[in-house]
Parts: sequence; C-alpha cells; structure tokens
Amino acid sequence: MPINTFAKYFRKVYTNFATHIYDVPPRMLAFLILIIFTIVPYAGIEPRRLDILTSANLMAILAVSWDLLVGRTGLISLGHALFYGVGAYSSAILFKYFQWPIWVTIPLSLIAGVGMALIIGTPCLRMKGPYLALVTMAFPIAIVGFLYYFRDIFGGEVGIQRLPRVFTIPPFSLNERYVANYYLSLVLLALSSIIIYKIATSKTGIVFVSILDDELGSKACGINVTKYKLMSFAISGLFGSLAGSLYAHMLGGSATPRYFYDNTALIPIENSIVPIIVTILGGIGTIYGPIIGTYIYFLLNRYVFENLIQIDPHIQLLVFISIVVLLVVKWPRGIARTIVEKLEDLEEPREIEEIEKEKTKKVEKG
Amino acid sequence: MPLLEVENLTKRFGGLIAVSNVCFHVNEGEIIGIIGPNGAGKTTLFNLITGYLKPDSGKVKLRGEDITGLPPNKIANKGLVRTFQIVRPFRHLPTIANILVALQSYRGKKRIEWIKTPERKAMEMLEDVGLTEMMLEPAENLSHGDLKRLEMARAMALEPDLILLDEPFGGLSLVETDYMVKSIQRMHLDGHTIVIVEHKLYALMRLVKKVIVMHMGEKIAEGTPEEIARNDKVVEVYLGKAI
Repeated sequence: MPINTFAKYFRKVYTNFATHIYDVPPRMLAFLILIIFTIVPYAGIEPRRLDILTSANLMAILAVSWDLLVGRTGLISLGHALFYGVGAYSSAILFKYFQWPIWVTIPLSLIAGVGMALIIGTPCLRMKGPYLALVTMAFPIAIVGFLYYFRDIFGGEVGIQRLPRVFTIPPFSLNERYVANYYLSLVLLALSSIIIYKIATSKTGIVFVSILDDELGSKACGINVTKYKLMSFAISGLFGSLAGSLYAHMLGGSATPRYFYDNTALIPIENSIVPIIVTILGGIGTIYGPIIGTYIYFLLNRYVFENLIQIDPHIQLLVFISIVVLLVVKWPRGIARTIVEKLEDLEEPREIEEIEKEKTKKVEKG
Repeated sequence: MPLLEVENLTKRFGGLIAVSNVCFHVNEGEIIGIIGPNGAGKTTLFNLITGYLKPDSGKVKLRGEDITGLPPNKIANKGLVRTFQIVRPFRHLPTIANILVALQSYRGKKRIEWIKTPERKAMEMLEDVGLTEMMLEPAENLSHGDLKRLEMARAMALEPDLILLDEPFGGLSLVETDYMVKSIQRMHLDGHTIVIVEHKLYALMRLVKKVIVMHMGEKIAEGTPEEIARNDKVVEVYLGKAI
C-alpha cells in the first residue's frame, strides 16, 4: 500500500511538473539553469576551481535569506555577515574541539543562528528604518572584537583553520571531493531558495509584505507585528547560518585557495555588503534575483577580473560596484526581475473559455 | 451593559489639550456619528480608543473589560476594529491578499467557518464591496474610492463587534458616497455596531441615530440629528457667533 500511495504521489508531482514546466517560461529558465549548473563540473573546469562556484552557491544562500528579511519584510539589515559568522564559528568550534560529526554540528549551528537572531531581534526590532540598519551593522563589528579578545578559542584574525572537509571518507579522491562539495552546495542552494520562496508566497509571507507596506495597517488588522518581524529575522538567521556553517565545512580546509580570506573569520564588512549589492542587482524582493546577482558577481570578480582583465584585488569591489550602479540605472527593478517579466509577457494569454473548461473539469473531478 | 464605554478620556500634546474629559457610550446595534470642526480631536479620540495613542487619563471599556493602553493589534483581536482617514492599503499585495492579511490574525483565523478556506472568505468580503473584478490587481493600481472600500472590507473580515470608521466618505465623489452610505446602512441592518467620524454632514445625518459634537477637544453636545441641528452651541461652533 505505501508503495502504491508513493507511486500515486510521484505521478501527481511528475504530471504537475511536466504540465507546468513548459507553459511557464520562468520555470523553464530556472530548470535550464539548474541543468547547466549540473553539467558544469564535467565541462572542463579544473576541479580546484569549482570551489569558486561552491562559495558562490553559499553566498547565494546568504543573499536569498537577506532578501526575505529586507525585500519582503522591510527590516533593513546591514550586518548579515553576523549570521554567516555565527554559523561558521559554531560549526568550526564544535568540529574542532568536540570532533562531532557534521550532521550534529550543522543543525546545532543553525540553532545558534536562530538564537542569535532572537537575542538581537527582540530588543532591536523595536527600532525602524535607518536606526535598525545602523544597529544591525554595529553587531558584527562588536562580535569581531569579541572573537579577537578570546583568540585562544576563536583563533583571532586567522580564524579556525585546518578543518577537515565534508567528504573526507576514503572512496572520494581529492578531485572528487571538490565535485561532491559543489553538488552538495548546489542542492542545498536549490532547497533553501525553494523553501524561502514557499515561505515568501505563503500566507505568512503575505503578512511579511504587509509589514513592509504599512506597519500601522497590519496592526489595525490585528496582526502581532513584533511576532512576525521576529519570525522573519529568525528564518533569515537560520539560512544565513546554514550558509556559514557549510562554508566552514566545505571551504575551511587546509587546501584553502588564496582568494578566500581567513578561513572562518567570516565577519568582515565585505560579507555584509555583497548580499546587498547582489540582491539589488538581481531584483530586491524577488527571492530568485539574489541568486542571479551572486553568479554575476562571482563571474566578474573571480573570472573576468582575474583572467580576462587584470585588476588589482583592492579595487575589484570598486569596479564591481560601479558596474552595478550603471546596471541599476538601466534596470532599476533588477536584472532577473526584468528578464522574468519579459518572459511572462511572452506567454500567450489563454482564452477565457479554455480556462473555464479546465475549471469545470476540476470541479467534476473533485 | 453598553458595548463601549469611554470615561473621562484626556490627552495632552505638550500644552495643547487634544481631547479633554470626553465621556460617551455606545450600545449594541447602535450607529453613532462624531462631528466637529477641523482640529476638534475626533481622530485623536479614535486613536486613543484603538490604542494607537496612550491616554493621559481616563478609561476605555469594551463590554465592561478595561482595554485602555493595550496595543492596537490586541484591541483589534478583541473585536474593536477601525479604518483610517488616509487609506492604508498594502500596496504591493493583490487586493485579495490585503484581506488575507486580516484573516491571518488571531481573530480572523478563529472567525472562518471550518467549511471555508480563507481565500473563499476573502472573495466573499470583496464581493460585498464590489471589488471582485480587481481581485488579483495589486492594490497600488486601485482608485481612491476602491481603496476606501477595500479598507472597509479588510476591517469587516475580522467580523468586528464594533467598527470605527474614520471619515469613510473623505475624497469620494457623490456616486461613490452614495454607494458607501448604502453599504454602511447594510452593515447596520446586519446588526453591526458602527461609530463614524465625518465632515460631510449631509451624508452622515442620513445614516446615524445619535450624534456627538466635539469642539476644541471637548464634547459639547449629544443627541439625535434633529436636536443637534437646532442646538445653539453647535451652530455657533460651525457658523460663528451672532453679532
């Protein structure tokens, strides 16, 4: 019986997928992009270089979680690297000092991220707009000082080094480990962005947008605004710390390439700024926008600026920001959003009769 | 027991006394109008009752229960719901989602019959105010009159015991005002208790059975529309003293 029900469920999912994938262009685009990224490791890229894409995937998770908080709830956070850092450090400490396996350390670091979000959110979410932004920016800076003070435990400026990578089990060769890391990060990016998208379009997500639009109005509707703000902050912290924790396990090993700064010292201001820039570039409030934005960022910074045009690392961010400003002037609503809206326009409007027929069919079935 | 009791409500902004010692009560099923010249403290009174401002002294009681100083969302969940003078729609959300927000609150969830989905109920609320065609349109594309009606539907989604309407006819054309008057009358016939603050006296006087007149933060008269129209003090406030 269970197999039968499973088969039925699978069939339903498959028919849903098969019928919708072709008539909704944006979904088809997402599907194509996913296929391309699945093939990438076998497209002649040096396995070592795959780490760049892995870190792009992790940054995309962070940016998507920032987008839920800022683009959908309107709570401006300028210090999202805090969650990245909390996830990474808690994972690293549990791994290094207790030798706990990753399926224990990753969930625990997620709890740490949510806890941090609640601790900071409870007092700070009473503030609004620019004041909230300034306070959230202050916290990562303060935490960095804390980490430097206890340098015996946290490793000071260098961070916690020489963490073994996730896939250190014998059957994996060194090169295969890069590939496995990449696939794991890709799957987790897909999963977490789907979950965040589902949350954003659920009824809870609707309440988040109502807080963004008009806080007084949602209070008048009887909504406990503080509760929903905290919820948004906690979800954002959860996925932010997931990204950080994965970073510690995937890229924090001894084979760290030169372009990753200090292994787990992940709280520099750059990690707070990048999610913001890529989200604005991709389209704020779209959830899928930050992913596209992150790939553009990594494509320019790690490939174009290093291989095609030689630009000094110190001014890379400046050049990138200048490009972003130009792009945003051209497409103020974000690149990804503009593309998706164009694709949606391509979709031919269906005849009303056709829609009605489908509806009557559904009614007859149900 | 009256549904709403307001006792000696006072609010000062610095040296200005916005609302001073206002007392009145609203019985179940009543429809009451509050009028007064600009700056009389009508909206401040609403803000005090619904928890957007904290009164300096005085009490607000709903069914005998003290609700003074509770946060606005708790008061709304107790069944005292308001609309705003300046519309406050959720501009990014589709019209139907505006109502789904209200149905997501504690009271909203509880008041949905088990047989209905929230979407079904939201569609019914939109039907009541005639916005079915605009269902999937983002609220920012709606006209001002539509937004006023949307706000009313959003408040009604909570199935309030008492609804406070802050200038429901503000900025509406004659036809729209007429439509609004009719829908408020229908609400009243359905047994809802309503308090209206309004400037447009000709629309208001048709609707209400009892009028409270405010001036400089004080309640200066209370009575039926006919009594109020004959009251010397009210005429003086609106038209000035005879020389």
